[in-house]
Amino acid sequence: MSIMKLSKNFTNPLAANNPVIVQILGICSALAVTVKLEPAFVMGISVTFVCAFANLIMSLLRTGVPSRIRIIVQLVVIATLVIVVDQFLRAFMYDVSKQLSVYVGLIITNCIVMGRVEAFALGNKPWDAFVDGIANGFGYAFILVLVAFFRELFGSGTLFGFDVLACFGYVNNSLMLFPPMALIIVGVIIWVHRSINKDLQEK
Amino acid sequence: MAINKNSNAYIIIYTVVMVVIVGALLAFLATSLKPMQDANVLNEQKVSIMKAFGEADASFDEVVTMGRLVGGEFVAVDSEDKADVQAVFDILGNRKELAEAQDALPIFQLEKEGVVKYVLPIVGKGLWGDIWGYVALQQGEDNVVITGIVMDHAGETPGLGAEIATENWQKKFEGKQLYNAAGEFAVRMQKGGAQNEHQVDAITGGTKTCDGVNAMLANSIGKYESFLRGAAVEAEADTEECACCCEECDVESINE
Repeated sequence: MSIMKLSKNFTNPLAANNPVIVQILGICSALAVTVKLEPAFVMGISVTFVCAFANLIMSLLRTGVPSRIRIIVQLVVIATLVIVVDQFLRAFMYDVSKQLSVYVGLIITNCIVMGRVEAFALGNKPWDAFVDGIANGFGYAFILVLVAFFRELFGSGTLFGFDVLACFGYVNNSLMLFPPMALIIVGVIIWVHRSINKDLQEK
Repeated sequence: MAINKNSNAYIIIYTVVMVVIVGALLAFLATSLKPMQDANVLNEQKVSIMKAFGEADASFDEVVTMGRLVGGEFVAVDSEDKADVQAVFDILGNRKELAEAQDALPIFQLEKEGVVKYVLPIVGKGLWGDIWGYVALQQGEDNVVITGIVMDHAGETPGLGAEIATENWQKKFEGKQLYNAAGEFAVRMQKGGAQNEHQVDAITGGTKTCDGVNAMLANSIGKYESFLRGAAVEAEADTEECACCCEECDVESINE
């Protein structure tokens, strides 16, 4: 595979084919963990890790997996990786793991992971699949961090826990901390994105 | 001979091998990370207890005396005895066991500038799941007073019942007196707003959670009642002595 195609595979999920704002996958966790930047950031990294390695492992196994039970095998691989992430967070980032609570476990059900494994990893070579996983994870993480940036900034007046707006006399808007606001911000991002990429607009 | 990948034998062997590999991997990982995870849980318990004491900056190990309430008596736990210390934290971590315990109840003591405060673990059920926390109590003039409380929950409704975990709501418990004039346990979250020095505003829309908090406080603190009252009686005895010699005090104690 040429470098051109590889780099296209990498950049495509970041913008033109972003899993969250174009394919509208993984919205559930995007609403739940974007109150603060730190958990959003960790969640993005976790999904990237799971997505990349699930793709890699499934791509390595793709010739041996019996097609009748391939979904089950995918689930086992993804669930194993998620438990690995969960255990590591509990051991090394306990506070963040508490904030993410059930959403780490719910990475298993994140459509992005399974979608990429089923749609890409089973038909492509390991290295391509790995890059695709990382790219899709980054695409997801990017949107999460973007949403969390606005929610934390205007909801708590902080960024990564540091006071930013307090010195300007800004009064925190707690509406930003509620899940509906995440949906509205995601909607605005989709709006902006589609007005730039006109070919995505539905007729 | 090519292997038929869709034959039942292949599928069964494939799944068995997969499960064994994954199982071994996860078992190894869980075992090797457990000490660090346990240390995190332990540290969180200590931080919560220090927050209840209102001494979030102090070190638990340096200032707090751990103990158990055996037959209404405070029995200190030897802080050098690691296994015994761990046993106390184990029961704190096991909410079911803690809720059922009737004797050897964990209790924490902190003495600062001559004032003794106790922290008790509290545990109960909210609307959707467990609620738990720590309450700090201090002997007031003629009553036991709440000086701090921390609460957490497993899955109360965000914005409604989950407000019990916010500092904002927990502050409302400070200074509340445990027992009313009739000597009954009277601290509760009251619908329609606090009416007296025992009650705390309930959360609008979080009635079931507040009911859970009321039950949790009554049950958990109730188990320590004889100990707490023992302390209260001592204090009252002092005022009665005073009452013999001065009429004003007498009037005061009748009013109570």
